[in-house]
Amino acid sequence: MSPAAIMPGENTVKPEPRLTLQSQLHELARLWSWVEAQAAALGIPADTEFAIQLCLEEAISNVIRHGHGGQPNLAITVDCTTPAGTQEVVFAIEDHAPPFNPLAADDVPLPSSIDQVRPGGRGIPLLRKFAGSLAYQRLPGGNRLTIGFALPR
Amino acid sequence: MQISTEELDGGITKVVLDGRMDIAGAQAVDLKMNLIAGSSKKLLIDLEKVSFLGSMGMGSIVRPARAVSSRGGKVVLFAPNEMVTSVLKTSGIDSLFPIHHDLAAAIAALQK
Repeated sequence: MSPAAIMPGENTVKPEPRLTLQSQLHELARLWSWVEAQAAALGIPADTEFAIQLCLEEAISNVIRHGHGGQPNLAITVDCTTPAGTQEVVFAIEDHAPPFNPLAADDVPLPSSIDQVRPGGRGIPLLRKFAGSLAYQRLPGGNRLTIGFALPR
Repeated sequence: MQISTEELDGGITKVVLDGRMDIAGAQAVDLKMNLIAGSSKKLLIDLEKVSFLGSMGMGSIVRPARAVSSRGGKVVLFAPNEMVTSVLKTSGIDSLFPIHHDLAAAIAALQK
C-alpha cells in the first residue's frame, strides 16, 4: 500500500486500548461502545465486529455471573492489541476469579429437546465457533483469556 | 431494542424484534416477550431486523418459545441474518424451533 493511501479509521479518535469494567452485567453496555470504537479505528468488517461483540459478551458475562459470583467490586480488564507481525486483533480479558479454563471445559451437548434448552449455557461453544484464536493463562489470583480475530488484509 | 406485534390470520401472532439482542436488548424485551408468549398458541418471531444476538438475547427468545411449546403451541423463527442464524445453529436452537426465510413457509409451518 502506498504511503498516501488512506488507512481505515484515520480520522477517528483512537480509542483507549484498555477497558476496565466492574463485575456487573449492566457494565456490558460500556463494552459495546468500546468495541465499536476499536472496530472503527481498525477498519474491522461488520461480521468480525459481530463475532468480537459476541465472544467478549459471552466471556465477560460468564466471569460476572459465575467467576466473580456477585462481587461487583472485582474488576475485569479488557486489553485490545494488534501484535506486530500478525494480521490479528487480540482482546485479553483478565479477571479475579478462581481458576477456570473455558478451553478445557467439556462441550455441553446440543439440546435434543425443548426442555433441555438452557439459555446462557452456550457461551463456550459460541466462543469456539466465532473466535479466530483462543488462549488461556492462569494468573496469580485470576485468569486471562485471549481471543484473537483476523484483520482484513 | 424495539418490539411490536401483529395478529395474522389463523390465530398467528407475529412478534417483530428490531435492534441488538445483547444483554440490554434482552432486558428491554423480556417482559413483553413473556406476556406475548402467555397469550399465543402460534408464534412467529420475526428476527429480520435483529442485528446482533448473544446468548442472553437468545434466552429472551427461547424462554417464551418454550412456554408456548409447553402448552402445545408452535413457534417459528423468521428471517434471521447470516450471523444471527449461525449463533442459533451453534446453540442448537434451529433444531427445536425451525428457521424460515420465506413468510408463506413460516406461516404454513405454524398451521400444520
